[in-house]
Amino acid sequence: MKAKISALMDGELDERAARQAIDALSREDEAVEAWRTYHLISDTMRDSGLLSDGFAARLGARLAGEPTVLAPTRQAGEPRSWHLLPAAASVAAVALVGWLAFAPQQEGGQTSPPPPLAQAPAADPRPVVIPLSSAANDYLLAHQGFSPRISIQGMAPYVRTVSDEQREAGR
Amino acid sequence: MTAAGALGVLLAVSAGMAQAQSPETLDWLRKIHEATQKLSYRGTFVYQQGSRTETSRITRFADARGNIERLEVLDGEPREIVRTRDTVKCYLPDSRVVKVDQRSADRSFPALLPERITALARHYAFSLGETRRIAGFDCQAVVLTPKDDLRYGYKLYADIASGMPLKAVTFDSDGETVEQFTFTQLSIGKVTPEMVKPRHSARAWRVHDAEVAPARLAGWGLTAELPGFHKVIELKRRIGESKPVGQVVYSDGLAAVSVFIEPLEGRGGAVRTGLASMGAIHVYTREVANHMVTVVGDTPAASVQRIANAVEYRRPQ
Repeated sequence: MKAKISALMDGELDERAARQAIDALSREDEAVEAWRTYHLISDTMRDSGLLSDGFAARLGARLAGEPTVLAPTRQAGEPRSWHLLPAAASVAAVALVGWLAFAPQQEGGQTSPPPPLAQAPAADPRPVVIPLSSAANDYLLAHQGFSPRISIQGMAPYVRTVSDEQREAGR
Repeated sequence: MTAAGALGVLLAVSAGMAQAQSPETLDWLRKIHEATQKLSYRGTFVYQQGSRTETSRITRFADARGNIERLEVLDGEPREIVRTRDTVKCYLPDSRVVKVDQRSADRSFPALLPERITALARHYAFSLGETRRIAGFDCQAVVLTPKDDLRYGYKLYADIASGMPLKAVTFDSDGETVEQFTFTQLSIGKVTPEMVKPRHSARAWRVHDAEVAPARLAGWGLTAELPGFHKVIELKRRIGESKPVGQVVYSDGLAAVSVFIEPLEGRGGAVRTGLASMGAIHVYTREVANHMVTVVGDTPAASVQRIANAVEYRRPQ
């Protein structure tokens, strides 16, 4: 519903969808809350100076509760809610302090084409076969510890992470 | 037992499990699990995959305080891995690097505990195979046959006396061997703490610390899960000397698939997308939403690929 509210604000909904969203606003507290929050965010971003009492505290609390860990730039196919983009960027910036030292998010207008939306095509029976990269060992080591096979086979499967062939390919 | 009685037992068993698994087979699975958890041993095994073979030595020291395992590759450069209760350390003498990976309590998967076996039985059929002598031990074969082609099957040859597996064969849906581990020599007991000490002091070596920590990868998920595979853990870590990478692990109780997610920005060079394989391990790499997604699994390639293709990012609302 939040996505709908956001799209409604952006005037992107067709008549039917807009009516549904407005209906939701009259019925659901959550939708109203989203409507209010989104407007506050967009007002803030435009520096309209219309902050309500306690806005910062509430936003802060909300940010704290939102572990934005890996935050790519906006995806194609999502509603164009540009009101929210700067907010998303600053949310990301704050949340990044947690553990992300990832490259900075694009602020403001999206100039580069958005990345393609993740699709789930039927499994291609013939994928492109590539050699194991030099980094593969690190992924294997990282994965191995979670393989339940360790519990029936002990540590032997780990040998695959220090295999000679890959070492030659890599280091 | 009368035919009716036998039928009754059979029905009772099938009620709890997807299929009739003989109590004897389940006992064997438990015995193998206990042996690998409790025994101290030292032995030499051969890892075989395709035309490639590699010999390694494994030493396990177990006492009341826990256990330490040490794996040494005997062919080529003397690489080794030492696993303690808290860490896995991988020593690479040629590059003078020690890789450190933390283990946490939820990293052990006692897949063969009775309650887990019921879940496993939905995707694997358990049966007893032949008896055979391996490296001087009389062994019983226990076969875990997958019920679909999304996972591999396993055949374990366990020492009849101790339950210690002497040989493990991974096979595909055609019954073809994908890889195998075979002990050529094994002695049970008689292990001292000295024997599991790493050969290298690794002083002045570079340390690649994975810095594993729990995390929630907001927005990332699968459009569809693979039947039987459930998310077991979500964390952040370093890969080599990388920036933090997200890792989500899915497992069916026996096989596991890890999804690694890392930002493309800041990476040198282009991502090579596609499938790479080694034995029963497949690695599939693709790009999703400006991130490189690397899926690593000890499952058939198609399963790894299916999970990789299902990875999606939705901006958290």
